[in-house]
Amino acid sequence: MRIRVLMVMLGAAGLAAAQTTSPQATPAGRAAGEKIFRSHCASCHGVAGVGGTGPNLTTGVFYHGSTDADLYKNISQGIEGTAMPDQFFNGVQIWQIVAYVRAISAAPVKTKLPGNAAHGAELFSTKGCSGCHLVKGEGGVRGPDLSLIGSQRSVAHLRESINDPGAKVDKAYWVAKLITKDGRSRSGFVLNQDTYAVQMLDFADGLRTVNRSDFKDFGVDRGSIMPSYKDKLSASELDDLTAFLASLERTREKK
Amino acid sequence: MKKLAIGALAATALFGQVTYERLLKAPSEPNNWMTYSGSYKSWRYSSLDQINRQNVANLKVAWVQQMPTSHRIEATPIVVDGIMYVTEPPSNVFALDAATGRPYWHYKRSLPAYNVCCDAVNRGVAVLGDRVFVGTVDAHLVALNAKTGAVLWDVEVADRKTGYSVTGAPLVVKDMVITGVAGGEYGVRGFLDAYDIKTGKRRWRFNTVPGPGEKGHETWPTTGPHANSWKQGGGPTWVTGSFDPELNLLIWGVGNPSPDWNADVREGDNLYTDSAIALDVDTGKLKWHYQFVPHDANDWDAVQIPVLVDGDWQGKPRKLIYWAHRGGFYYVLDRETGEFLLGKPFAKQTWAKEIDTKGRPVRLPNSAPTVEGNVIWPGVQGATNWYSPSYNPLTSLFYLTVWENKGWYLKGDPKYTPGNRYVGSVPDIDMSDDQGYGAIRALNPKTGEMVWEHKTQTKPWSGVMTTGSNVLFGATGGWLNRSSREDGEAYFFALDAENGKELWRINLGGTMASNPMTYMVNGKQMVTMAAGSAVFTFALP
Repeated sequence: MRIRVLMVMLGAAGLAAAQTTSPQATPAGRAAGEKIFRSHCASCHGVAGVGGTGPNLTTGVFYHGSTDADLYKNISQGIEGTAMPDQFFNGVQIWQIVAYVRAISAAPVKTKLPGNAAHGAELFSTKGCSGCHLVKGEGGVRGPDLSLIGSQRSVAHLRESINDPGAKVDKAYWVAKLITKDGRSRSGFVLNQDTYAVQMLDFADGLRTVNRSDFKDFGVDRGSIMPSYKDKLSASELDDLTAFLASLERTREKK
Repeated sequence: MKKLAIGALAATALFGQVTYERLLKAPSEPNNWMTYSGSYKSWRYSSLDQINRQNVANLKVAWVQQMPTSHRIEATPIVVDGIMYVTEPPSNVFALDAATGRPYWHYKRSLPAYNVCCDAVNRGVAVLGDRVFVGTVDAHLVALNAKTGAVLWDVEVADRKTGYSVTGAPLVVKDMVITGVAGGEYGVRGFLDAYDIKTGKRRWRFNTVPGPGEKGHETWPTTGPHANSWKQGGGPTWVTGSFDPELNLLIWGVGNPSPDWNADVREGDNLYTDSAIALDVDTGKLKWHYQFVPHDANDWDAVQIPVLVDGDWQGKPRKLIYWAHRGGFYYVLDRETGEFLLGKPFAKQTWAKEIDTKGRPVRLPNSAPTVEGNVIWPGVQGATNWYSPSYNPLTSLFYLTVWENKGWYLKGDPKYTPGNRYVGSVPDIDMSDDQGYGAIRALNPKTGEMVWEHKTQTKPWSGVMTTGSNVLFGATGGWLNRSSREDGEAYFFALDAENGKELWRINLGGTMASNPMTYMVNGKQMVTMAAGSAVFTFALP
């Protein structure tokens, strides 16, 4: 077959969507779901589902729909505009994952974060963060847009990214360094590329297409251009900044 | 009055009837494209030469037909005497004016829930007489009136509820329409069917997974806990095969065994999965088979197009088959006997040391999925797949789409329940550390050696076509409009078939997952390629 993991499973999903609650909400179903979760979901959502490069799933809040049917749809079809892919599982397995996710989010523990978010917001601009990161439309474009980062990443990941920005770098933020045959150097993010050209966000020039036939040298740095703030913030400032970032949450969609 | 009569006559002549004799001699009518691969030999070659290496750079869009569907078009259109018959996925058919793209009629099938693994697609129709035949995702075969699109008969090929569908284009031979089935991810038991073109009555069925008492059944567990695994053994037949009228043999590719990535439940070679099969077209009886991958656990279907060439083999004339298989080896087989003649890698592969003199692969260690995962070349989509190759008699070269890529193969628990996926794991297609690349390659078909290649950044999902002016048409790949930040690309291009030099390209801006074809209407050569949900046709100004 020509499997395409990302394809919509119209037939299977169509049949299964008729269900509104997981028929696998049993101890055995949850256990099977946990097994799948650990092998296929944990790399982004964390082993315990508390989040990592993907959102925390234990808070009881699901921004793209909170019913079992919503979860089923999001697991089977992926979530457009996010890194959440669709999954090549059969209906039974998807319901098992839903049952497990439901179990770990059943009694959300709202841990109060240390730190003062309002002070964190000040630090965000005084310490230079806003020079590269957008928040609600204000800031630079040399780093990820952080407007909803509190919904997208775990607190642990946020702390790690402040202290050690190169630890986990999304491919979209690898920096391309390019020298053209006329001696001009460019650097920026690769937005897209094809056989003939690279479409990039040049840090100096904005959106630019550069033909491969004009390349003299082209390389991609998989690290981060962000400096570490490990020694630039006190412990309480790190708490404040983290609290601010964690507060940047998606408004829950009303159904 | 007289004028009207002449007009009516002309209209009748325009709707020429496709006879079996015309299909046999299809290459002598390059104005038309009457079968999926252009002829029974499946060369995807046209002797048309109005568009040539000097003027191809002047190609312009002649017309575009945007289809209402949101699914991608995988069909190769059929063109007969100025009429184009092309499917709109999932299972609809358009008859278009091949000169302008304007529709004559549209058959729209209302569908129940269906099971298809990888989007609801269709690869095209077959025609004979005043009939158009189409397979459907709810696993039916339908005959339509070529002038009106009216349904003449509609038969169930298999039970859609157990995971069967029909996505491939049927093939008409004599007074029969041959169709395969899809469903290798649902644990179907595959087969190939022949139906009477007039009545829709089934003439024969060949089961690609032999049952008890049938030859080949011993290659499946016959005792123990998995003694029934053959019933869900897979072996779908989802891409159109070829036909040799002299030998009266239908030659068809068979897909993966089920479950795909966990072979523990099906000890043995698992015939006739991942095989080429040759059937007597009148009876459906097996004449010979050749299995590319015994006991496959990598999903390397053998659904490629069998390219039939009568050629010289080591000093003697021989009826040959050229076959570039998904596992990364290029093969030459004898068409009369199925004898293995050559097996040589055309892309990087890490699963077989070689193909031995009897044609059996010599397995390397770590070439099957494991619970922890194994990195193997080629990846799950293979080094090539279902996209059509081309053979050009002028250059005597074999052209194909190649993926240089690896995959992460995991083994999981397969559990069979009717109508649900039965695959045994979820492999990774694209490795984030190294996504690989694509290429169009020209091989010397006698040796399997590469003559030239045209590299592409993304891995193409389209086949190639060559013409009588040594122009090759092909496409870049990649999936467009995905959530990932980097899209694929959508260039349709022309290369010099002799050396691979690029002559022309255009960005069509939609996922291309079909095959180019060409025809002539009103004295103009047209070249057609689907992208996204649109059919694009090009001609010289």
